[in-house]
Parts: sequence; C-alpha cells; structure tokens
Amino acid sequence: MSEQPRYQKAVWVDPSQLDTADKAAENSMSAQEFSLQQITDVVEEPPAAVTTQRLARRKGRWRRVFGVSLTATLIGAVGVELYRLLDWSYTLHPAAGSVVSVLLVVLALSGAVQGWLALKGLRQLRNVERLQTQARELLQHKGQGHAAGLLKSLQAHYKESAARQPLEDAILQLDSAYSDEEVVRFLSRHALTEQDLRARRCVQRYSVESGVLVALSPWASFDMLLVGWRNLRMLREIAAIYGVAPGAAAQWTLLKRVMHNLAFAGLSEVAIDAGSAALGSSLTASLSARAGQGLGAGLFTARTGLQAMRLCRPLPSESHDQNLIKSIAGGIVERLGKSRPID
Amino acid sequence: MGVSKRLKSWMGDVRVDDLRNRLTDLAEQSMDRHLRLAVTGLSQSGKTVFITALVHHLLHAHKSGSLPFFELAANGRVVGTRDLSAESSSPFPLRDAIEGLSQPSPHWPQSTRGLSEVRLAIRYRRAPGLRRVFGDSSTLFLDIIDYPGEWLLDLPMLEQSFEQWCESQRQLFMKEPRRTVAAGWLQKLQRIDWNSPRDDALLQELSREYSTLLQILRRDPHALSLLQPGRCVLPGDMEGSELLQLFPLVLPEPVSSEAPEGSLRWTLQQRYEQYRQQVIRPFYVRYFSRFDRQVVLVDCLKTLNRGEACFNDMKQALSAILQSFNYGRSGFLRRLFSPRIDRVLFASTKADHVTANQHHNLDRFLELIVQDAQRDMGFEGIDTRCMAIASVRATQAAQAHVDGQTLSCLRGLRKDTGEEVALFPGEIPTELPGSEDWTQDRFRFVDFAPHRLPSADLKSSHHIRLDQLLEYMTGDQFQ
Ligand SMILES: Nc1nc2c(ncn2[C@@H]2O[C@H](COP(=O)(O)OP(=O)(O)OP(=O)(O)O)[C@@H](O)[C@H]2O)c(=O)[nH]1
Ligand SMILES: [Mg+2]
Repeated sequence: MSEQPRYQKAVWVDPSQLDTADKAAENSMSAQEFSLQQITDVVEEPPAAVTTQRLARRKGRWRRVFGVSLTATLIGAVGVELYRLLDWSYTLHPAAGSVVSVLLVVLALSGAVQGWLALKGLRQLRNVERLQTQARELLQHKGQGHAAGLLKSLQAHYKESAARQPLEDAILQLDSAYSDEEVVRFLSRHALTEQDLRARRCVQRYSVESGVLVALSPWASFDMLLVGWRNLRMLREIAAIYGVAPGAAAQWTLLKRVMHNLAFAGLSEVAIDAGSAALGSSLTASLSARAGQGLGAGLFTARTGLQAMRLCRPLPSESHDQNLIKSIAGGIVERLGKSRPID
Repeated sequence: MGVSKRLKSWMGDVRVDDLRNRLTDLAEQSMDRHLRLAVTGLSQSGKTVFITALVHHLLHAHKSGSLPFFELAANGRVVGTRDLSAESSSPFPLRDAIEGLSQPSPHWPQSTRGLSEVRLAIRYRRAPGLRRVFGDSSTLFLDIIDYPGEWLLDLPMLEQSFEQWCESQRQLFMKEPRRTVAAGWLQKLQRIDWNSPRDDALLQELSREYSTLLQILRRDPHALSLLQPGRCVLPGDMEGSELLQLFPLVLPEPVSSEAPEGSLRWTLQQRYEQYRQQVIRPFYVRYFSRFDRQVVLVDCLKTLNRGEACFNDMKQALSAILQSFNYGRSGFLRRLFSPRIDRVLFASTKADHVTANQHHNLDRFLELIVQDAQRDMGFEGIDTRCMAIASVRATQAAQAHVDGQTLSCLRGLRKDTGEEVALFPGEIPTELPGSEDWTQDRFRFVDFAPHRLPSADLKSSHHIRLDQLLEYMTGDQFQ
C-alpha cells in the first residue's frame, strides 16, 4: 500500500490481524475494517482541538516604563499621604483614628472589587472578540472537526451565566455530521435565541424611551445628556445579557467601539438607514419638529443598541435588523401620537 | 365534454391535455402558492427514500424539531402539514415505506415500478411583518412525483429522431463494456438486410435479446445508467406491448438513405416515432414540463465502487437528462404561463456511507460529475448548489484507536447480510482519478441497512442535511 503514494487505498482488515496491518494503514490512511470492540462511538465530542493564535499585543517599551513609573509614583505618594492621615487622626483621638482606619479598609475593599470587575469585563470583551474571529474563520472553513476549540471557549465564556443551559443543550444537539461551518451556524441560530430576544427587547425599550423623553422634555439643551444617559444604561444591559460583566472599563471600551463603528458604518448600513428614513417620512409627516427630534434620538439609540449587540454577541449574526428599526420607529410615533408621558 | 372532444380532434390529444393542465395551473396559482419539486435521479439513486423521509419529517415539522436548519420549522412557524396524496389517482405509497423503515428490523423500500404522486399542504404562520397585510397564516402546496429512474432516460429521446438516436447508441456501443457484452447481438444486426420486408418474428427475437442485454448492462459489475429505451428496461404498465419491441439499429456505419416503406428499418422507425408520441411525450407533458425547483440526486459512491466506465456513463446520462428540463428565471408572468425551474440542487445521496470528514470531498466529486450541466444552468442565471445528504441514516460515526492514532470510521449493519461491521471506507477523491487509479480495492462503500426511523418523535440525527436542502429549495416560499 505504501508504494502507492498517489492516493489512499481501501483495505479490508481482518480484525485478528489488526496489529500487523496497522503499520501500512498508518502511512496510507486506506480503508479498513475494525472489530467492534476497538471503536468508541462519537456522540457530541468533536475530536480535535483547534489551536488559536494569541493576538500578539504590541506595546511600546518606553510607554510601559513610563506607565509603570508613573503608577508607582502616584501609589507611593497617595500611600504616604494616607499613612500621614491615619497617623494624624490617631494622634488627634483614638476614636477618630479607628473611624479613619475603618474608612480606609472599606475604601480598599470596594476599590479592589471595582478593579476586579473592570478587569473581568475587559477580559470578557476581549474574549468575545476572539470568539468572533474564531467563528468567522470557521465559517470560511469547509472541513470538519476543528470546532472543538470554539465550543470550549464558548462554554468557558458562559461558565457562570444563566445562558449556560441553552448553550449546553444546543451543543448536545450538534450532529456528528456537521461541518465546522454548520456547527457555527447552528449554535448562532439555536444557542443564543433567548439572549437575542432579550437584547432586542432591551434595545427597543430604551430607544422608544429615549425618543419619547426627548420629544416631551421641555429643555432642548438637555437632549444630548438624556440620550447619552439612556444609551450608557442600555450598553450596560446588553453587555450583561451577552455575558460580559458590566464594569465601567468594559462599558467605556464598548462605547468607544460602538461610536467608531457608527461613524464608519458600511454602505449596507447606510442603505438600511435610507430605508428607515423613507419609512420615517410617511410616519413623520404628521409630527411636530420636536417629535421629529425625538424620533431621531430614538433611532440613534436603536442603532447604538444594534451595534452593541453585534459587538457583544460571541458568534457573528447574519440577521438583518431592519424590522427592529421599523418597529421602534413605529413604537415611538405611536407613543407620541397618544401624546402621553411614558410610564 | 363535447367541446373538449372536438378540440381534441382538431389539435390532437396531447396538446389539449397540455392546455388543460396549463389552465388548471393558472387557476390554482392565482389562489394559492404551489411549488412543484422535481426529484430527479437515476435508478437506485435514492429518490423513493428521499421523498419518504422528506414527507415524514415535514408531517412532523410542527412539533419534532428534527429540521433545525429549516427556518420555518426552527422558528416554530409551521402550524401543521397535511398529506393530500389520496386525491391523486396514483398516490405515493408513503405508509408502506414508513412502516418498512420504522419496523424493529427496518428495511429500505422496494425499487419503484410505477409513477406515483405526493401532495402536501403546509400551513404556516406568516413572517411577522406581513401578518398585518395578508392575514395570519397561509398554505403552501408542495407537489412531488416518484417514478422509476429508468424512465428518466426516455426524456432525451424526445429531442432525437430515430437516426440521431441510432447514431448516439452507435457511439455508445463502440466503447467498452458495451462492445464486448453486446458483441453477439451486434453481429446479428450486421448480417440482416434492413431493407427487406417486415418480419415480426425476427424483430421480436432481436428486441428480446436487446432487453436482456440492457438488463445485463444494468447489473453488476457494469452498473451502467444510460440504457434506452427506459420502458424496455422496466415496462411498468406496458408489459408485452408491441411498441416495446424497439431497439436501436447499431450498424458499423450510419445509414442515411430513406427506408423503403414496409421494410424492417421502416418498421423500427415507425415504432420509435410511436413510442415517442404515445409514451414519452404524454409522460413528459403531464409530469415533467412544469417544475419550479429541482433536486438532482446522484449516487456518487456507486461510480467510485464500479470504476471509470460507470462514472463516464452516469455523467453522460445525467447531462442528457438535465437538458430536457425547462430552466430559466421565473418572473411573475412567465411563472403563470410557463413555470420554469429557477433553482437546482445537486445532492449526493447516501452521505452516511462515508465518514463526515469526507462530505466536503463528496461535494467536490459531485461537481465533477455535473459540471457541464451546472455550467449551462449558471449561464441561464439559475442558482445551483452541491450538497451531501442522507435521507435516512444507516450508520453511526465512530472512532477507532489504532496504534495510538485516532481514525474516524463508520459502524452499521450490512444491507445484504445484516451483520454489524465497522470500517473506514476510503477517501473520496476530489479530482477525477486517472484510469490506472480505478482499482478494485481503493474504495469500499458497502450498503447498510437503515436505522429505525420512528413514526413520531423524529430527531435531526435521523438524516443528514435534509433540513438545509429544504431551506434551500423552499425557504423563500414561506412569506
Ligand atoms: N445509507 C443510505 N442508503 C440509502 C439512502 N437512500 C437510499 N439508499 C439506498 O439506495 C437504495 C435505493 O433507494 P431508492 O430510494 O429505492 O432509490 P430510487 O431512486 O427510488 O430507485 P428506483 O425506484 O429503482 O428508481 C436503497 O435501497 C438504499 O439501500 C440513504 O439516505 N442512506
Ligand atoms: Mg424508487
């Protein structure tokens, strides 16, 4: 068999002679038969694990030195000051001293928790990004058996969240015959249904809310503040829905990315917006200028929300969200038509 | 009645029937959505099993979740499906087929011997955006016909005159394995003076020999596909008819002169014309001219098992057949007046006979077989795709640990002996193997007995990609 390197031949292997036959089989991957005791069924565990390349993070060396020294200086200065405060308060009165030390302990603890949350959020956001790249690669891939890595990372991502159960269920339903591309499409379609639904509802609620708020608020100069405030809350919620811990740092990073994506929205999105504008014109004909501004603010919130969904969702989604935007616009106009303050 | 009789006498039966069909279609189409799915495949390519499985899964689509990639079912929008086949004069034997597959020791359906029809009414909830305008739910009627694959080979004859047909057969009989198998019969034909007067006994004898020849070529080890006329291989309800005493005049050189009236050659010519007009044409007009979508089922593994001659023959047969269908974009008006096929899926069936990591290769190999047809369709602007499917799974994926190495393999019961086997059946080539590479031991695709298909509670593990096929074929129809 091994003299025929051009293709891999088929061979019947007598189970009792398997040991001798293996050698040839190993080189040529020919067809062979196995005894039933030799094999194990493949149920849901895909065989090979995929090796993901770590994104090499480049950082200027001097920049790091600067950062480290600056932090060290600041921490040192603050530490010395705090120590002096403590010292001083004890000399003042033991009671004052104990109050200050309790305060300091509380401060340190809450600071640590905050920092840990922020780091966790950032890590999870990076994780999502990595999952998305990995999933996109698999979507291009025609072969089979390389999705195990993605599955493991997904499971790890949802380790402590309520979304774990649907994910596990979906993974159990994966068929051994699916190619990598099909695995990703299946999971995207069936593992995140619940979260997609909640996230869409969240976007819808916040968009309508901010639209109506802007339309009804008497102080035009507060519009931006109002919208910004609602948007930030929405980002937090969406991130939480998709299993990203909503720390301030993660929220900030997310906001930056969302704004970046909105500013550089691709042609397709412009087309969608043109569509929603056309739809708006029939709806807005009867609206006052102020209500029109409200509609605009609502649609802006909706787009922000959809971008955030796209960024927080661990698997790329193919669905087009034109319907959501339409229904949001409809919702705002309906509310304004009734001209009733929001509840 | 009177009018239609008079019309028939003016225009000929077939035309009137054709016209009447068109009018019925027109009336139907303006009220409801209809989809005629052509299931095209040579004999033993898996048509009957495919139709059975498809209908079975659709009938349970409202509750079973066995079609995760079929959006309509996955979104829970199927209200229910009803089997309307009983309305037809020759209903598809669905119950028998499912009973056979759901027995404790399941077996495949028998090879088909006649034509039968399935009609399904799929009731579904509309997509959210459209509900307000068109109402909450709607119905799609899905029509499929099942027939013996042998008859499909008659379709190309519709375009050929007797002389052209004889010439194409002459080309075929010049090559192996036909030349050797038919040597005796060919010599007999040569010795006869074809301009001599008609002799029924002689024709009968020669045609009987020809039928035997076709049967030999159809069976192992040749397993050829391009066997014409189809009714001579499988007469169906025409058993014993004189029309079937028909064979091509395969002579060393093509005869171009006019055949004298009443001669042997003339008789064959007449029969051929009659066969075309009375057998093929009505069959074509009634069942084959009005499809919207097409699934072409191809059994690639058979060709790999049998070698180059079988491969080339199947390729030629498929391209000939596919030329008989109407392809082209179906705009709204075109669709009303003459429906055209606007989407074609080439499916390599029995994908469960190879390990899952070979499915992509199977797609590529299928492309080799159908590439000509696919190119022509692409030119007409038709969507085509290749997909490896299994309508009913017969094997289970397994792994063998050999020398510390893990090998994917299959486990299943052999169709012929019923004994349980495990094997790695070989790799599917993605390029055409050279003639010296078609060797006996390269591939080992054995036929397996089916897994039991439960009569309720279906799972996605009972098939491979049937749901994606459905989505591709019908997904855009459920609005
Ligand atoms: N493993 C497996 N075998 C199949 C499948 N479909 C068909 N087969 C095999 O192919 C054989 C023929 O299938 P049929 O559906 O009867 O083929 P057909 O195209 O209807 O054949 P004719 O009626 O003779 O034209 C079956 O007896 C099975 O052995 C499948 O999905 N999986
Ligand atoms: Mg059949």
